[in-house]
Amino acid sequence: MATSMRGLTQFIADIRGARVRELEEKRINKEMANIRKRFKDGNLDGYQKKKYVAKVIFTYILGYKVDIGHMEAVNLISSMKYSEKQIGYLAVTLLMHENSDFLRLVVNSIRKDLNENNEIYNCLALHAIANVGGQEMAEALAEDVHRLLISPTSENFVRKKAALTLLRLYRKHPEVIPAAEWASRIVSLMDDIDLGVVICVTSLVMALAQDHLEAYAVCYQKAVDRLNRLVIEHEYTATYAYYKVPSPWLQVKLLRLLQYYPPTEDPTLRNILFEVLQAIMNNCAEPTRNVQHNNAQHAVLFEAIGLAIHLDPNSPLVSTATVLLARFISSRETNVRYLGLDTMAYLAARADHLEAVKRHQGTIILSLRDKDISVRRRALDLLYSMCDVDNSDVIVGELLRYLKVADYGLREEMVLKIAILTEKYAGTYKWYVDTILELISAAGDHVGDEVWYRVVQIVTNTEDLQAYAARVVFEYLKSPSSHESLVKVGGYILGEYGHLIANDSGYSPIEQFQVLHSKSQFCMAPTRALLLSTYIKWVNVFPEIKEQLVNVFERYRHVLDVDLQQRACEFYALATRPAEDEVLQNVCEEIPPFPARESALQTRLSRKLTDAGDRRTWVHGGSVTLDRQATRRTTKPALGDIHGNGSAATSGIDGSNGANDITQSLMGLDLSSSPTALQAKTSFSELQSAPAQFLAEKGIPRLTTNHNVERWFEKLTYSSEGVLYEDVQIQVGIKSRFHGHIGQVAVYIGNKISAPLTSFTALLHTEEPDALSVSFAKIAPSIIAPRMQTQQLVNVECKKVFTKAPILSLSFLAGAHQSIAVRLPIVVTKFLEHVKLGQAEFFERWKLIGGPPRESQAIFPITLADSGFINTERQRQVVSGSCLNILDGIDPNPSNIVAAGILHMAEDGNVGCLMRLEPNKDAKLCRITVRSTSENVAAELQRLIQKPLSTDAVS
Amino acid sequence: MIHAVLIFNTSGVPRLTKFYTPLQQSSQTLVQKIYSLVSSRQASLCNFLDAPELESFLGQTDDNGEKLRVVYRNYATLYFVFVVDSAESELGILDLIQVFVESLDRAFENVCELDLVYHFDEAHHILSEVIQGGLVLETNVEEIDRAVQEAAKARKESFASANPLSLGGGGVGSRGGTLQTPLHWITDRLTGVRAR
Repeated sequence: MATSMRGLTQFIADIRGARVRELEEKRINKEMANIRKRFKDGNLDGYQKKKYVAKVIFTYILGYKVDIGHMEAVNLISSMKYSEKQIGYLAVTLLMHENSDFLRLVVNSIRKDLNENNEIYNCLALHAIANVGGQEMAEALAEDVHRLLISPTSENFVRKKAALTLLRLYRKHPEVIPAAEWASRIVSLMDDIDLGVVICVTSLVMALAQDHLEAYAVCYQKAVDRLNRLVIEHEYTATYAYYKVPSPWLQVKLLRLLQYYPPTEDPTLRNILFEVLQAIMNNCAEPTRNVQHNNAQHAVLFEAIGLAIHLDPNSPLVSTATVLLARFISSRETNVRYLGLDTMAYLAARADHLEAVKRHQGTIILSLRDKDISVRRRALDLLYSMCDVDNSDVIVGELLRYLKVADYGLREEMVLKIAILTEKYAGTYKWYVDTILELISAAGDHVGDEVWYRVVQIVTNTEDLQAYAARVVFEYLKSPSSHESLVKVGGYILGEYGHLIANDSGYSPIEQFQVLHSKSQFCMAPTRALLLSTYIKWVNVFPEIKEQLVNVFERYRHVLDVDLQQRACEFYALATRPAEDEVLQNVCEEIPPFPARESALQTRLSRKLTDAGDRRTWVHGGSVTLDRQATRRTTKPALGDIHGNGSAATSGIDGSNGANDITQSLMGLDLSSSPTALQAKTSFSELQSAPAQFLAEKGIPRLTTNHNVERWFEKLTYSSEGVLYEDVQIQVGIKSRFHGHIGQVAVYIGNKISAPLTSFTALLHTEEPDALSVSFAKIAPSIIAPRMQTQQLVNVECKKVFTKAPILSLSFLAGAHQSIAVRLPIVVTKFLEHVKLGQAEFFERWKLIGGPPRESQAIFPITLADSGFINTERQRQVVSGSCLNILDGIDPNPSNIVAAGILHMAEDGNVGCLMRLEPNKDAKLCRITVRSTSENVAAELQRLIQKPLSTDAVS
Repeated sequence: MIHAVLIFNTSGVPRLTKFYTPLQQSSQTLVQKIYSLVSSRQASLCNFLDAPELESFLGQTDDNGEKLRVVYRNYATLYFVFVVDSAESELGILDLIQVFVESLDRAFENVCELDLVYHFDEAHHILSEVIQGGLVLETNVEEIDRAVQEAAKARKESFASANPLSLGGGGVGSRGGTLQTPLHWITDRLTGVRAR
């Protein structure tokens, strides 16, 4: 205890006793001098060092600058006594910052404490890294911190700290952390039983996932599952309920994490998510009297509404939310009003139609007059977001009116926003000019240069507007006091277009000149320079006032300002040239239209808004600003890219390969192995040899490969149930049922060991999401008990022809973190259905389809049965297992097999397929011919049926 | 993230300051600035405050300046102020302040302003169990209390061995009798007069 150090207590008491600041300072200076001397003398024992460092810290906390004690703090850290160590660490975290040179000295002590077998030492070290960790620490210690995080022997409180420490290091030096490689291991911690660990890990995942969306894709499922458990199943320890709300922080974090990802496509997750969101909204229906309870519930609710809007701005859930929000923005509680407006602004920025929000326009406009500036700011944001063509008149009018009484801090932003809205939603040019000029005259000092540049740009580019603009600006200039920005606009517009109105009464050249020139004396040099330019233009078009103008130039030739003087001299020379000279006319040619360019206003505004660190998931007036980082990402990882490196091989399988084979005559029997098999292998191995990090980054599991896996998979392509994977720890079995283009695959996952598999995760990846959709019927449980089996149903729908079987990836913790990824035996033949054809019909169709490209043919070697004959039984088994109907009595040769089937696809409809298999016993070769109305189908079918039959078959 | 945690009293004297991002300017000016912002707000206004003024203090000098918000809560004579960026939920932070206060209350048994003065190191330790490097570490009061007790125990043990004259020293929460000036602000909180 600090008070156990009597010297320190005395010191504190003295300072408290000091009645005036001077006395306090005197006391501190005296103490610091003493400490400096003691430190210099050296020979202090641990207790004394601790005491003095504590005094230094106290002085620092009071706000004084201290420059001593750093070295002693470094020494205290390596002390063996906890009390000394603790003060040492406190001093390091308070007195030093990440670039401090002293930190170099503590890296080793910190590492020692990290590796210590004592948790509270670990904690001190972690805490120090998390507070002051710089480049050097990140490089030296990231590995150790990660080890503490994932080690199964770490205590919960150590893991929590390690997670956040890692997060800090990542934020500061992302390049030090191999985020993608650690992804699955870190995400698996989100399943931890301890909610405290889950909160910290979720924070970490949230930061990492933002930069590595695909690698961390698993966390989406985890987050949904956790929300489901918290909100629906009320599965949490009582201590984590905060005023009866289950860990609001965790809920908020999870809800926000989900907003970083594009809305999920998976129907199961979507349903659960909607259920959760609905439940959260229902919970808030009846407000209670407890303030803390309400606070917590609202915190969750606002995030939930944010997520609901993110998922689908038009869902019924959002309508419910809108009703709630409407209630909030007129709530008596200021906090609730504030957040209600904030969230509604989000809704307005994302929603396709704004009717629901517009209904409350009146209330929102009233909020501009709220007594609290924070609320007023939010109301401004919301009005900005909800403005569109219909209500721009009202909103801009209201903003203009409010601008005149608004807080000074708010005005500049308001001006920008009004200018943007006016330009964006202008119904008529007239309205635009009126509004902008009113804005400029009302806001004066708060008008940035961008605003009036833009006006000039638009007026110059819009011919119809020029005369009108000139007239209006003239009227504004006539008022006794006009702001300088207005004078600038006036000078520019009248100079260019003043002649258009010069013939109307009241706008004669001399009047224009007098009005403008009367403002000149109140203006700064740059504005005066602009006015001089205006005058020279007038010399060109208004010869009748040339005399006055030349007079002005004459006078300005003697001013001190260099720019003004030079202009005046040059203009004077130009103006006094003989009348027949054409130089002046050429110089004062009318200005050409500006090239169309993006408004500088928005760039300015969005620059003000972009965030570092955690990205906001939306921006005000979202449709205005393009900077929607999180939502803009494409829905699915571009899996095609991966196969870019194996594309030659893949295309070979699809089409060219069949053609290749056909060019080989049947007699060219020296083909040792079919090119198909070979090519298929290369593509497979290339996929596997792609750099691990690359795969991890894309969130693609690395396929588990060995002889057995391939054999199991191949067998399942022509049978409906069997083992898909097995090792010492788990067994995966498959049972499948297909009907038409729909299928259901039951995956049985059995735990073979005597300990539970925790943090169990199952995921499906499709490389051709347009052609094949696969999804789990429910989220896999996170724990599989010892020697138990769990069943997961996979719903499958075939939309188009596909060539890549989906990947099932499983990961779990059993001592260490394990992951397995295998292809599910879902291939295109599974969607075939029998068709019965007679001999005549068969041949008629066979001929109708004709040769290539709708025929795919290949010759491949086969192994004979033990008896030396063709293994017809096996061939028939494979063919009929592939769901083709074997038609007997069509081919005269009994060893040949002829079969037919219809492929069902949801989008591409039904495709008929005919197949003929001609084995040759003597040559040990077999010819397969597949004809189908779709060429892709023919090639794929031929490949699938041939594979298990050829000698390359793994079984 | 959380950029700063400040506790100062109603006359603007800082009682605890902790910055998670390096400061550009002196911490005293920052505290004064925030104090003037916060203390001028009436009780009925909301607990959040946009603070573009503070950005120059907290090192966001690059042009993608963060939108900082001040979330504060007033307990009797003390203001608890958290400066956060837009990644944090405002109400979440408000709840966190409550958790921090409850943790202080646990450790000090009816915490008062003087506790924070004399036990500044302890207050920092408790804070470090709630927030680490600007991120929320733990929100469960039980858990925070347990960690604090654990550290106190370790300290006490090592202290006893360090100072043979001491007879065990004081545990967490023991105050000298002369210093006892409870402000009863925690009871104020419980009745919910001011706290929101």
